[in-house]
Amino acid sequence: MGRKSVNFSIKEINTDLARFRDLNITIGAITREQWDEPMGPTPFPSLTTLRPWDQRLLKRYKPFYLPFCDLCCMCTYGKCDLTGSKKGACGISMSAQQSRTVLLSACIGAATHISHSRDLLTHLIAASGRDCPINVGGTGVEVEAPITRLVCGIKPITLGDLEPVLDYCENQVTQLLAVTHTGQEGNNLDFESKVFHAGMIDHVGMEVADIAQVSALGFPKADAEAPLVDLGLGTVDTKKPVILVIGHNVPPATEIIDYLKENDLFPEVEVTGICCTALDITRYSPKAKIVGPISWQLRYIRSGVPDVIVIDEQCIRTDTLFEAARINTPLIATSEKNCLGLPDLTHEPVESIISGFVTGTVPGALILDPEKVGEVAVRVAIAMAPQRKKHSALPTKHQLTEWAKKCTQCMLCRRACPNDLPVAQAIRLAASGNLSGLDELYDDCLGCGRCESACKQKIPVHSLIVTAADKKTREETFCLRSGRGAIQDTEIRKVGGPIVLGEIPGIVAFVGCANYPKGSREVAEMCMEFARRRYIVCTSGCSAMSAGMYRDEEGKTAYERYSGAFEAGGIVNVGSCVANAHIAGAAIKIASVFAKRPLRGNYEEIADYVYNRVGAVGVAWGAMSQKAAAIAAGFWRLGIPVVVGPHGTKYRRMLLGRADKEADWLVYDARTGEQVNGGPVPEHLFFAAETKEEAMVMIAKLTMRPNDTSKGRANKLANYIDLHKRLIGGIPPDVYRLVRTPADIPLTMKDEIQVHLAEHDWKEATIPDPTLLSRMVHSRKVA
Amino acid sequence: MFEKIPVEVGLTHEGERVRKNDMQVELGGPNEKEKFEIVRVSPADQIEDGRISIIGPDLGEMGEGKHYPVAIIVEVSGAKVEPDLEGVLERRIHEYSNYIEGFMHLNQRYDIWIRLSKKSYKKGFTSLRFAGEVMLELYKSELPIIEKIQITFITDPETISPLYAKALTTYEARDARARGLSDDDVDSFYGCALCQSFAPTHVCVITPQRYANCGAISWFDGRAAAGIDPKGPIYAIDKGTCIDKVKGEYTGVNESAKQRSMGEVNRVYLYSAFEYPHTSCGCFEGIAFYIPEVDGFGIVLRGFRDVTVNGLPFSTMADSTAGGRQVDGFHGISIEYMRSMKFLGADGGYNRVVWMPHETRERLKQFIPESVFGAIATEQDVRTIPELKTFLESHNHPVTSRWDAEEETGRAEDGSPRIPVFSGGDIPFTSGGFRIILKNARITADKVIIQPIKPGSPGGEHHGAKKP
Repeated sequence: MGRKSVNFSIKEINTDLARFRDLNITIGAITREQWDEPMGPTPFPSLTTLRPWDQRLLKRYKPFYLPFCDLCCMCTYGKCDLTGSKKGACGISMSAQQSRTVLLSACIGAATHISHSRDLLTHLIAASGRDCPINVGGTGVEVEAPITRLVCGIKPITLGDLEPVLDYCENQVTQLLAVTHTGQEGNNLDFESKVFHAGMIDHVGMEVADIAQVSALGFPKADAEAPLVDLGLGTVDTKKPVILVIGHNVPPATEIIDYLKENDLFPEVEVTGICCTALDITRYSPKAKIVGPISWQLRYIRSGVPDVIVIDEQCIRTDTLFEAARINTPLIATSEKNCLGLPDLTHEPVESIISGFVTGTVPGALILDPEKVGEVAVRVAIAMAPQRKKHSALPTKHQLTEWAKKCTQCMLCRRACPNDLPVAQAIRLAASGNLSGLDELYDDCLGCGRCESACKQKIPVHSLIVTAADKKTREETFCLRSGRGAIQDTEIRKVGGPIVLGEIPGIVAFVGCANYPKGSREVAEMCMEFARRRYIVCTSGCSAMSAGMYRDEEGKTAYERYSGAFEAGGIVNVGSCVANAHIAGAAIKIASVFAKRPLRGNYEEIADYVYNRVGAVGVAWGAMSQKAAAIAAGFWRLGIPVVVGPHGTKYRRMLLGRADKEADWLVYDARTGEQVNGGPVPEHLFFAAETKEEAMVMIAKLTMRPNDTSKGRANKLANYIDLHKRLIGGIPPDVYRLVRTPADIPLTMKDEIQVHLAEHDWKEATIPDPTLLSRMVHSRKVA
Repeated sequence: MFEKIPVEVGLTHEGERVRKNDMQVELGGPNEKEKFEIVRVSPADQIEDGRISIIGPDLGEMGEGKHYPVAIIVEVSGAKVEPDLEGVLERRIHEYSNYIEGFMHLNQRYDIWIRLSKKSYKKGFTSLRFAGEVMLELYKSELPIIEKIQITFITDPETISPLYAKALTTYEARDARARGLSDDDVDSFYGCALCQSFAPTHVCVITPQRYANCGAISWFDGRAAAGIDPKGPIYAIDKGTCIDKVKGEYTGVNESAKQRSMGEVNRVYLYSAFEYPHTSCGCFEGIAFYIPEVDGFGIVLRGFRDVTVNGLPFSTMADSTAGGRQVDGFHGISIEYMRSMKFLGADGGYNRVVWMPHETRERLKQFIPESVFGAIATEQDVRTIPELKTFLESHNHPVTSRWDAEEETGRAEDGSPRIPVFSGGDIPFTSGGFRIILKNARITADKVIIQPIKPGSPGGEHHGAKKP
């Protein structure tokens, strides 16, 4: 930005020497600003720029509302009952109100990533300068910031170039938030279009954050062989002073590592983390350890192992101060967004802060200077360790039984449990000394602690579960491939052949939070199953941890068993939440790598390409947060379907296609300009599955695209049908809708599929060069 | 389809590994000297359709955890089945047998390595007959051109030995035929439009001497695929009349390219990187890139992570050639094409190649003429264009003779060919009362230095959102 173009033309110029007309000057040798790609039609799109594209998608995938709450209580007219055909005092309908709530969530999510990105960028610029070059993958990556190029039309070269990108994001989120005011937008589909906009903006914000930290902090750069790092409670050396970092914004944690290194203390202190800061700290130093996803917060803190807790922002339990106090561990808050009522000691001398903590006069403090946090956290951990003696808040086994005896079997705990776990039954067993019931709950427990709040007898139910599962926690010794960041352009080139030849059925990304219906295990199982079937599997965030928390029959975790490369059967951990941008980025790069479609400010054309051609599916099995809503929305606008677990229905609406309505599935065949049936693929844009089995079958189905070659479609169908037979039973009822030509039929299933096709009066169809945009039809230059 | 097979048969078992501890028995593999698999096209009257023979001990008679020699002989016939397709049909053995649950098949020809899992054995997979039945079914089902087929499994070393020697001769003859087959020897080339699903205007033309860019499809593969499914994405191109033998331009190829690319590509030179080069989608294995300063080509393969001699890495140059476009001097290629006599034939072949990574040069050693091999620089010899120039001169690379010819057309003092920095339609100026107009002026400069008068501030003017 702010630099001059090196290609220019002069209509007319008069000088002492000469008069020039129509002078074109091209200078090839100056490379720094050379981006000769012409600006596309929609740089920095506003709220309505891409509305026509959104409407195309929303026509096919009509929102199916699942009101989580029938009322609107956002203004003082309310509460307004919106059931049936009732309208609110402002005139709003149920559907518009549901979409409005989704938009609010998506705005919160996008604002969170963008604000995270801004804080991070400001910190990194202060440390490394505006001129610090962006380098996400060395020579293997030509397109360094696919989303930023696509949305903003900017090719960032240095950290400083990212600032105007965030300016734009902040501007848009403000506008979007304004849309949700009472008496503003009234149409549900316009709300939905703005949800997509929020999602797209969110992806830009995430990309800025991750490419900035990868570039400035020396994280692995698009490295398929990023190191394997320790994961799990059992990997923590409890004999050492232990630091726990929780959250998403890594600078305080990197300063801790720096202080340890500068003072040769690393061998003596354990740095452990929960949530995305944990992922990012291992990208900074592979010696750091990941305890687990967000659901591990209570169990780890109550174990008494951490000697100091450092929190930054997002997805941190808001009662961490209370929990930390129970184990006599000081808490350091480091973000302006998360002060927890603590005194601001940013400008206090280090010695006095430490002494306050060690003497117990200050249970926690706000320190808004990451460097200071680095020193304080290390010195406090070292000072606290001998005096705390790992003071735990967990009951002993004897105490556990005593607590269990107080249970009145009122079942309030079970009612409070998001996963309806048989808590009371397990406690009854425990009262008789049998801990097996509680032990069994451990794997499925989300660690929310609602059972405890509900208990009239004040039984620390969650602690009981953790104590009962004591052996399991010690055996949590897994590993995870540290977040690699971007996908190399060359890796994408390599998989082009196998995809069209039908050797890779699709790309499945397991992303997001840990609000699983049945614990982490299901994510690990799904990852391994799809990798075994030679899909390209991506992971990020808490799902990346869950994927590594189980071992196969040979004792290997998913990351040990499968390669970290973006290839058939690879399990590719891109990194923390913000690294999700690389998954969307890879899909975008496919358009540039194979078809040389211009990315610059060219959102609609590229989304049309991705939607019709790139067989990718996002899976947020434990999606919990507003950030997850925004991330999903960013994928929707690109035309990438997202599958969520049962808790995902609480996002209030699904985007479901109607396979039975043929008119919904017309696409242009770009070769002829004719409108033809593109097949009901991908069938849905947002789908909540009840069970893992249902999800797996749906994932396999949603990787299909209208452009699939016959070999590709045959492979996708083979997996879809095979999974359906194993997990649900029988041939899926809709195979005839998905077979276009006889060559689409999987070879080993020919007989039975031919019978099925005959039963459904199947007719052969053509495979189009698909697009939803009439302007993409080739002007045929030959007769 | 496979009701009588005691284990599952399906795509999802492809790529399954059977580890040593889970292994019931091993056939072939590193512990057996003589093993092979082969497909032969035979006269119809010599084949008993559907016959499966097993000579030597069958799976059920083998010791647990032991290894045995093995030969798999598939004999086929059919009006459209030509001996040229044997190699293509042979690779199906690997594909089909791997669909069988717990049956691991690795490699091909005389390298085959098969393992059966204990689990599948316990389920009743106790005879090679089952493997034969699966193959029979799949061969006929996928390849209706096969009218008759019989399969023989041999595990008896005495029987294998003479057949093994014969098989080696057959492979050699087949390889010699493939190497010797030139584009002039055939009437049909093959087009592959598979990549059009991602790059709608790209088509590969596959000839005996020009492999598909992806490196996965040979002329023989093309011939088989087009024969099996003439309406499929791989189709025959009647090569028509040869317009230019050196550049490799054919009327049939031009017409086919025009039709398949929607008129984006009207002419194709098969053996040149200039003017009308063969297009590429994105999955090419390497790039031949023109280096104007020395008037030669560099070659770089996808896996090379360093920058090349022109300062650009593979990924940057790949970006310049992908997407079904014809880009002068940037040429997506397969490794196999680099082994062809026609490789960049119109541009001088290897005599025009001046740089490639060391590893690539070693890999292609036997295909690069000895006379030029040592004169092709690698990243270990030179890092920059001036260094390259010196290297080429000191090694008397054939391209240096082209430099002399160009000398007369104007060169800069340092010896590099001049590249215009200014070009204008009309440049008029006055001098001494005359008006002078320069038409199509090209202005060259040794160096252009552009200094900003006022340094720009980051931020620019793009803060707000623009209306469409």
